[in-house]
Amino acid sequence: MLLKRICWVFTLLFAASQFVLAAPTVEEGKALFVANCASCHNKNMKDNLTGPALGGVEDRWADYPRQDLYSWIRNSQALVASGHPRATELWSKWKPVLMNNFPGLTDDQIESLLLYINAAAAPPPPPPPGTPEASETAGGETPWMFIGLTVILGLLAFALMRIINNLSNITRVQAGQAPLQKTLVQTLTSKGAIAFMVFAVTLIFGYKTVDNATKMGREQGYEPDQPIAFSHKLHAGTNKIDCQYCHDSARRSKHSSIPGTNTCMNCHSAVKKGSKTGTSEITKIYASIGFDPLQNKYIPDYENWSDKQIEDLYKKWIGQEYMSENSLTAMDDNGRQTVENQWEGVVKALKNDLNGKIQGPIEWTRVHNLPDHVYFNHSQHVAVGEIACQKCHGPVEEMEVVYQYSTLGMGWCINCHRETEVQFADNPYYDQYERYHNELKSGKRDKVTVEDIGGLECQKCHY
Amino acid sequence: MHHDNGIWVSTEDLMREDSFLQSAEKELSLENVDQNGDRWETNRRDFLKLLGFGLGAATIAASCEIPVKKAIPYVTKPDDIVPGVANYFASTIVNGGDYCAVLVKTREGRPIKIEGNTLSSVTKGGTSARAQASVLSLYDNRRIQHAGTVKDGAVTKKEWNVLDREVRAKLASGGNVRVITNTIISPTAKKALAEFTAKYPGARVVTYDPVSNAAMLAANEQCFSARVIPNFRFEQADVIASFGADFLGTWISPVEYARGYAENRRFRGAKGAKMSRHYQVESHMSLTGSNADNRILIKPSEQGAAIIALYNELSGNSGGPKLGDAKAAAAIKKMAQDLMNAKGKSLVVSGSNNVMEQIYVNKINDLLGNINTTVDFNGVSYQRQGDEREMMRLVDEMNAGQVAVAIVWGANPAYELPNAARFAEAFGKVGMRISFSGVLDETTALCTHAAPANHALESWGDAEPKSGHFSLIQPTIAPLFATRQAEHTLLEWAESPNLNRSAEQPYYEYLKSNWETDLFGRQTKYATKQAFWDMSLHDGVLEMPESGLNAVMNEVSLNPDSVTKPSGSELEIAFYETVNIGGGQYAHNPWLQEMPDPVTRTVWGNYLNIPVEWDGVNHINGWKGLNDGDNVEVEINGKKMTCTVVRTFGLAPGTVAIALGGGRTSGGCGAGYGVNINDWLPVTGGMVQYHAAGVSVSGKVGVDKHFACVQYHHTMGVQASGDEEGKVINADEKTLGWKGFQGALTDRSVIFHAHVDELEKFAEEMEEFHEESAHLNVQTLYPDQSDYFGTGMKWGMHVDMNACVGCGACQVACVSENNVPMVGKGEVHRHHEMTWLRIDRYFYGDFENPKVVYQPMMCQHCDNAPCENVCPVAATNHSMEGINQMAYNRCIGTRYCANNCPYKVRRFNWLDYTTADTWPANEERVLHAEGDDMPFYADNLVRMVLNPDVTIRSRGVIEKCSFCIQRIQEGKLTAKRENREIMDNDIRTACQTACPTGAIVFGNLNNPDSEVSKMTKQAGAVAYKVLEEINVRPAVNYSAKITNSNEELYS
Repeated sequence: MLLKRICWVFTLLFAASQFVLAAPTVEEGKALFVANCASCHNKNMKDNLTGPALGGVEDRWADYPRQDLYSWIRNSQALVASGHPRATELWSKWKPVLMNNFPGLTDDQIESLLLYINAAAAPPPPPPPGTPEASETAGGETPWMFIGLTVILGLLAFALMRIINNLSNITRVQAGQAPLQKTLVQTLTSKGAIAFMVFAVTLIFGYKTVDNATKMGREQGYEPDQPIAFSHKLHAGTNKIDCQYCHDSARRSKHSSIPGTNTCMNCHSAVKKGSKTGTSEITKIYASIGFDPLQNKYIPDYENWSDKQIEDLYKKWIGQEYMSENSLTAMDDNGRQTVENQWEGVVKALKNDLNGKIQGPIEWTRVHNLPDHVYFNHSQHVAVGEIACQKCHGPVEEMEVVYQYSTLGMGWCINCHRETEVQFADNPYYDQYERYHNELKSGKRDKVTVEDIGGLECQKCHY
Repeated sequence: MHHDNGIWVSTEDLMREDSFLQSAEKELSLENVDQNGDRWETNRRDFLKLLGFGLGAATIAASCEIPVKKAIPYVTKPDDIVPGVANYFASTIVNGGDYCAVLVKTREGRPIKIEGNTLSSVTKGGTSARAQASVLSLYDNRRIQHAGTVKDGAVTKKEWNVLDREVRAKLASGGNVRVITNTIISPTAKKALAEFTAKYPGARVVTYDPVSNAAMLAANEQCFSARVIPNFRFEQADVIASFGADFLGTWISPVEYARGYAENRRFRGAKGAKMSRHYQVESHMSLTGSNADNRILIKPSEQGAAIIALYNELSGNSGGPKLGDAKAAAAIKKMAQDLMNAKGKSLVVSGSNNVMEQIYVNKINDLLGNINTTVDFNGVSYQRQGDEREMMRLVDEMNAGQVAVAIVWGANPAYELPNAARFAEAFGKVGMRISFSGVLDETTALCTHAAPANHALESWGDAEPKSGHFSLIQPTIAPLFATRQAEHTLLEWAESPNLNRSAEQPYYEYLKSNWETDLFGRQTKYATKQAFWDMSLHDGVLEMPESGLNAVMNEVSLNPDSVTKPSGSELEIAFYETVNIGGGQYAHNPWLQEMPDPVTRTVWGNYLNIPVEWDGVNHINGWKGLNDGDNVEVEINGKKMTCTVVRTFGLAPGTVAIALGGGRTSGGCGAGYGVNINDWLPVTGGMVQYHAAGVSVSGKVGVDKHFACVQYHHTMGVQASGDEEGKVINADEKTLGWKGFQGALTDRSVIFHAHVDELEKFAEEMEEFHEESAHLNVQTLYPDQSDYFGTGMKWGMHVDMNACVGCGACQVACVSENNVPMVGKGEVHRHHEMTWLRIDRYFYGDFENPKVVYQPMMCQHCDNAPCENVCPVAATNHSMEGINQMAYNRCIGTRYCANNCPYKVRRFNWLDYTTADTWPANEERVLHAEGDDMPFYADNLVRMVLNPDVTIRSRGVIEKCSFCIQRIQEGKLTAKRENREIMDNDIRTACQTACPTGAIVFGNLNNPDSEVSKMTKQAGAVAYKVLEEINVRPAVNYSAKITNSNEELYS
């Protein structure tokens, strides 16, 4: 009897969850956006492209009924023709660029799109550093719906149980038997209830175990300290240096390697002081490669210099700059302290267990660590796929200190391979996929994704 | 033509013995692991212990913080290195007379793989197993790491300048100085040696070779007034007769000869097919003999008689020793007829080390009009220069105390010489003994000083293997240890004014200036010295082919009494060199030790080949009732040793054979494997002979517990007596107890062969076979996937079994490319070898003198792969490019796939061979170098050889050939990046590039213009798929073995 009831409850719950899953979601919106909108609207939702930036679109249409926005998306020209004020305003601004019609989009789909646009326009701040937590809390409102539904359904089930109990007792009384009255304890310790509990506990723990196990080794948000306070925000953001100026192997190799100190020197032989950090950070580059900023030349035989020689040179440089900054003619106490502190920083950054010398390479802490059994090739993505660095690495140009933006989990890779279109028409390499070309021509297929050319197969990445 | 018509891999297979079937059955079961008694048992308490440990470990692992990884960039990044992208440098692998022009693949400045250099007209892009393996020797942790003095098997460090002073003082004090070397083919090294001997008047160079060809050189000196090896043109020979010369495996320049040989034998379509005919007159089955169309069996001491028989037949003379076997004598008569018919287009060679026999061979070639055609004197070979007679004289000199300083460079006389003990004694009387050896080998252990030379991959140098063919050696890594180039050391000691000591690389300057002085003027290709040097270095080779030189054979008195006389002894022994470890020079390389000998299929050691005896009725017995792995005592000339036997087909009656190169005692991981038989080698007329008479072999005295022969491992298509009626069925099916249930499939098609004259008929038969197979496969559960596989690329391979000579270069190349672990002798014994590519060797024909087919067998990448269906976790599955993929990190090790693979190409990591596991286990069982505590692959130096683009597999997962997926991915990416369609040359698998004969072709089957499609089309019906009838649809095509045997030879 009880078992039957439980089955009922679950059936109901299941049906409800199906209903919930059909609600608008960010994921669905993202897929729709990539498929329909991304060719004209900028993915960052901030800048105009062929079409306007979509960030804040809901606010701009807030004065009008929601249905108007739906109509606008489905057939913008119809709305313009009807003389809708917002539509007319937009048309006058963007004329003669026509927006494609999407009559097939349902209201829910459009809601999904809007959810995604809002999400993408205001990306959630990265999780606090050092806590490797999954960020996939997409659809944050659904838990409340679930909880609400569960409570309602639970009450419903309870009510039904009471009714069934009462009815069966009535039958018993009619048959001349004493009605059964179970105490709460009896109910809770019944076989069925215990079985249910065990089942539920196993389910929850199992889910949690698997869920946590998949997160093992993931380090999203990892933001380690680096030997040099190098600011990507300054270099890539403010100064707009191209990513591949320094990370030049990204287009040629599987690695996007950290530039050698000599690459830094391309600029820093002239730029000797940082706008924020002054001499404290750039001196580290000089001490690594052996550049004498006082005389503007590389030090011959720097390899064989003693620590003392190096210390004297760079302390002199730091001190000199301190004095000229503060227009001093002689060193003051504060200056001596500054020199001492900065020099300590240099030694800490360059000297370590592996390299007992100040000279030599700068040992950075690696931020993005793929598991050993994954083969990832930057040049495939950067040179062939023409994927922007930010797609995986996030807004590096806004990062003072670089952190891991994406999960780097397999699901994340796979999703992208499912969605990303191959540059099919432009590269003769793809000529051999004759069937796809024919299908594209005949209209049977509207795009070729990475998945279609084997992008989900094991040995694309594992060998 | 068919399996059922007599193809076998061993006596057990031939006789369908139960032991063989059981071993095949047990291949994948744990029973096999336990069969030695040294099993690891698990009881309930162990289980609980492990469970507890496992839980604890998992908890600790889960709570551990993820380790912080560092990323260290260059300070000044070299322009030509892009991290993650390989660089290739043209260089040369030289070891004594062994020569191979190569490209060295380096990653982030460390060499990891050897490829052939197609610009060389000597090797034409082919490589040998030895060249492929040389990169591993670079990362040998047994290398001597600094100069010093040697005492008690250890080198005590001494600075180079201190050593230099000490040696120079001793040299200056007068007395005789001897430099002991193997063949040196480097012109610049010879120049350095000349400077050295000029400086010290008492100095002389003594050269010998580990496996001697001194008689041939002496004969050529008499016949042609030049102490050289002629340029043998196998590609121009229609009839080849070899008297025991293993020219495809080990003789002088096998890569070059194999390429030429295969040119005339490659299958180019059934219609009007023609190919050369190859006779091999020998006493044991060599690699070359196994490829011959006809083998004429003689006893080892009868080689001279056989040569005389041929000479008499051609010249009409008589006299000289006679062959004991009338059958062989008659066969030689018929062979002579064949040779005469191909006058000027035939070739006779001999591996004999008897001067008169070699003179006869020259005379025979002269009579056949081969001099200046197939025996060309344009571009003569310098690859053998040694003369052991000089070495014998040196031993006497040393014994008499006449030598003050001995310098050993590249040679190891204390092991290699037949009278090594006498050498050791005499060597001890030399005041200062210096070794240039990179490892502490037997000779270095006897020295007073070690001046270790760089490994070839760390050195500058050059080579002139053949007249007019020059090759450069350039370093691809800075010396790993404080070693120094041997030539530099010599010049330093000679106080050469030509050595620029202040230069960063003094010998580089010396070499360059030598090339500019000697060679720049001789060539016309480059106008400036800079261009000349840069381009020569870039190409790796500089060729100035000679032409128009004509040799005339001198009048030489022939004396049939000077050839070896047949011993008349009941039992004789033949000593031979193997393709992998040579005369022992390569014994310390695990890749070569674990590469099975092509014919006997044994690894890690040398084994006594004993004949099998056909009782004339229905049974084949091991000689004297001996079995594989039995130990016997062998006595020759009163010297007794214990050898392990392996039963071998194709030995002449009354003959046993054993390989050289075993029983090394020091210098690396090969020490302790096999027996040192150099002591048995007789010396006649100052020349080492590679056979002996008066052999006595005892009965079984014991058993080699770890006898390692891969012959019975991973078999397929083996047949068995199925049921009480003795009906023949598949062994696989017998294990299932199906009693011939799948009756149509019992006649499995693994090997096809035909005679070249019957090719057209054979092609028709094959056509029928293909139809029959297609008919069997009409009804299938598999969906039609032609659309799926027809889109984009579909990878496939074509293997020409006629071009394949079985040399094994592909196997070592595969090991090198794919980080395949070596497991050691004990593990091979347990069927645990990990090689992804094996070369199956099948016999067919006459039981006593069978023919051989080699079949490279790797994953066939079946479209309907049986392995994929049985994997419970989908760790192995198919790609749309037709590749059977293996995801190691998904594999849980059920081994169902290996069990279900009809080709038996899947390998299971029973133990943690590469020490890739976080929790090391069973480390004491995996390969250790002798005396090392650490497993072979745990050493960081060894691990530098690993290919960073291929995962290191951990314990408990299956692995197998991936069609070099990393190369496919790289080739595809290159094409994409360059905005073009993919071409054949973008992707070449490791086995393909290594092959000296071009037997393996890989490419896109969907492209009708690809080489692989063309090859398959050209082969037509003669191409087949192994086990075609079982509908697994492999991606590898084999073209049948075609022979051109003289069918009337024994009639």
